[in-house]
Amino acid sequence: MRAQIQIVDWVTREPVEAELFDEVTVEHFLETQKEWRPVVVEAAKKMVHSGSPREVVPRHFHWDWTDKEPDLRILAFSFFGMRARGKLQGLMKLESVGRSGRIASQKGKPLTYVDYLETAPWNIKPLMQALGRSPEFAAVGTRLIEAAVRKSLDEGFKGRLALHSLSTSERFYLDVCGMTAVGRDPAKQNLLWCEFTPEQAERFLNEGAA
Amino acid sequence: MNSKKTMTLNLTDQEMRVLEDLSNQKELSKTAILRQALRLYQLVDVKLAEGGKLFFEDQKKEKAELMVL
Repeated sequence: MRAQIQIVDWVTREPVEAELFDEVTVEHFLETQKEWRPVVVEAAKKMVHSGSPREVVPRHFHWDWTDKEPDLRILAFSFFGMRARGKLQGLMKLESVGRSGRIASQKGKPLTYVDYLETAPWNIKPLMQALGRSPEFAAVGTRLIEAAVRKSLDEGFKGRLALHSLSTSERFYLDVCGMTAVGRDPAKQNLLWCEFTPEQAERFLNEGAA
Repeated sequence: MNSKKTMTLNLTDQEMRVLEDLSNQKELSKTAILRQALRLYQLVDVKLAEGGKLFFEDQKKEKAELMVL
């Protein structure tokens, strides 16, 4: 699958053409290690040295997408990437088996689980502020969550979606996407379980992010 | 999304009843249930082939290893 979508130029606020695709390969993982990780690590170091509050320092500086190469062949997992202006702008891994809702009305009902979602560091405002630069694009995370909801619909899960949010991303999932904060999960580093009901997912797709 | 192929599936009455029950319980179509089953089977098969083990834990926290052929 390859689809033309639009993200937003952070500086001009003009729409920018991007490509969303699900044919993710190990080459994309290597690209994140080469192009993204050094920027994340450099920004995280600067934030720590400048005394930035702990909750804004990136928690994903150690992520290594190449660890997930064996998962590319497994049907239960799917991957989405996004490219704009020749660069990888975002990457996401979904799980489509063995997960169910935790909101009372959704208990036992299957959902799509966002295992990993990362936007390129040059699209993350606190990281770019630490490096004295402007972010490049907005709406990358939003477009990836839209793709995840569509995957849930395609699986027959009616748009149900869930994820464990890093502390630095909670406001995005709750306030921007409109997901429900269900509770902290002691089995997953006490991260916050955020979930879309079918109705919330439909609203998110129809009305867009807040 | 990838294009989909069609196949005919022959099930016994009992198998069809189980499929229908799961379809109702999970609010999924029968096709979606079978796709889930295939995904789960492949995932378990790959993990076992890699040397992983699959356990079920009961209410008393006792674990039983599941053998998958």
